[in-house]
Amino acid sequence: MADEVEQQQTSNTVEEPLDLIRLSLDERIYVKMRNDRELRGRLHAYDQHLNMILGDVEETVTTVEIDEETYEEIYKSTKRNIPMLFVRGDGVVLVAPPLRVG
Amino acid sequence: MEVTHSIRERTITENSLVVLLQGIHGHVTTVDLRDESVAKGRIVNVDAFMNIRLAEVLYTDRQGRATHLADFFVTGRNVRYVHIPDEVNIIKTIESQLQKIHRVRNFGGEGQGRKEFLKYKK
Repeated sequence: MADEVEQQQTSNTVEEPLDLIRLSLDERIYVKMRNDRELRGRLHAYDQHLNMILGDVEETVTTVEIDEETYEEIYKSTKRNIPMLFVRGDGVVLVAPPLRVG
Repeated sequence: MEVTHSIRERTITENSLVVLLQGIHGHVTTVDLRDESVAKGRIVNVDAFMNIRLAEVLYTDRQGRATHLADFFVTGRNVRYVHIPDEVNIIKTIESQLQKIHRVRNFGGEGQGRKEFLKYKK
């Protein structure tokens, strides 16, 4: 086949915010999503919409329950693990290196 | 795994990660929807806007009630996650999908067929 596959030049300099995400490729990252969700996983791919492919991801969903009598807020979180996940970009709020606790 | 006939859709697909979803046609996957319901079935088609058509689906709604559906369509906006099956090689899938698009684009040979990118002669 004589067709050429155009190779897109990827610059190594950081020019725009998306380039900062490029620096995190193949690293573990923390993604905060809408509806009180968080993801921690290895970033395999991303695009301009922030659609992402994450490997070995742990999803944390946080819910708040109000106690009927004491009216205190009880925070509950549910976690689940998914081996390989495609995430639609419009749910992504922020992308960061994994948070270190303590 | 057929490439769409629309030039617009091809361009959108080629420049985003939807190419991966188009490459896993035929695989059984789980799609998490925005409203917290879950659909698990065989991918029939994914278009440039991430609209997904599934077949032989086990649909679990927000309350946890499960139903079987023969055919299932969800608009791209309502997709939250797509679980990628373990057997899928992501890089190879994306590369082969991009090659299919390039093949379609270059179809018709030199000087024949409508070219997707016109070369202006001055």
